[in-house]
Amino acid sequence: MQTIADASDGDLARAVANRTTGPAEAAEGELYRRFAPRVRLYGLRHLRDEDAARDLVQHVMLLTIQKLRDGSVRDADQIASFILGASRTASIDLKRRERRREKLRETYIDTGAFAPPADDSMLDIDRLELCLTRLAERERTVVLLTFYAERTADEVARELGASAGNVRVIRHRALARLRKCVASNEAVS
Amino acid sequence: MTMDCDAPIGDETLLDYWSGDLAAGEADRIEQHLFACGDCATRLENIAAIGAGIARLAREGRVSGIISRTLLNRMQRDGLHVRFYSLRPGETVPCAAFPGDDLVVASLRADFEGVQTVALKVTGPGDVSFGEVEEASFAREDGEVLWATPGSLVRNMPSTRLRLTLTATGASRRVLGEYLLDHTAADAGL
Repeated sequence: MQTIADASDGDLARAVANRTTGPAEAAEGELYRRFAPRVRLYGLRHLRDEDAARDLVQHVMLLTIQKLRDGSVRDADQIASFILGASRTASIDLKRRERRREKLRETYIDTGAFAPPADDSMLDIDRLELCLTRLAERERTVVLLTFYAERTADEVARELGASAGNVRVIRHRALARLRKCVASNEAVS
Repeated sequence: MTMDCDAPIGDETLLDYWSGDLAAGEADRIEQHLFACGDCATRLENIAAIGAGIARLAREGRVSGIISRTLLNRMQRDGLHVRFYSLRPGETVPCAAFPGDDLVVASLRADFEGVQTVALKVTGPGDVSFGEVEEASFAREDGEVLWATPGSLVRNMPSTRLRLTLTATGASRRVLGEYLLDHTAADAGL
């Protein structure tokens, strides 16, 4: 017997659209569980702000559920594309008109029912600090310029007098080292 | 359906996407995939979490070693309180970190004319090594290397004298400058 976790994205979208009590609610929850983190990532990537990303999640997911319930989503199997499209439109809108966020919250139903997806709070920040000190100096500079100063590889390359390709290699290697170090069980002293 | 990704996006491409290094069309293609693929989205989430952690550490001044002027400017713009010391070769500067100092930065001035690579060595009393950077980033136009230490770390250091030595490495090997930081511990009543 197929469980909700095994259902395809399209099956979930159809269950929501059919509005069968019980399955529809479970399908809405599963759709949210799957797509909210992706919308948040999209928001972080394009809006560069955690609060704005969370607002985007609420708006897009509520809009998606509403459109499914209304029968406005033509092809349930293309629900991922629908959510991406909604994310793009809303993100542009959020950028253009910051104040619109408050309106969106008021417009859509029962925002309290959807908890925002987790952020980086599960990350052991002390461990990451130690791992950062263990990187080679150039690796540390590249990841700081990338993730903190939000510089592209071209911009970092200009600053360090290196090629963009070289910066990308250093960045990739540094991130791999950080992930390995953060995942290791060695105690922080 | 939760299923294995049949065309996983490499970490390097995910990183390029996250850093804004992909052309618009390629970024769109990646986004299409990420919205349809939980596995790749989860891997990007891990990258984003590390990135967010790094940004948080920088915002809190928890960064050690050589930093660039761009990073320093960004930290100051974000409201970090930076205790700044500028040293010329041969100079001794009394230093300390005071309550509220998030970061202590020493600007080591030097003439980098003709220099390709630079090493920095930090030693304490008795020539005990406090650290060494084999390939230190330097700003040729500004004529400086910026060495950063979290304020909390400096406040907990005992009174001591640190010697910083900048050396041009490679073909034009020579000492560019020696700098002394005369550190007074927080409880020593500066």
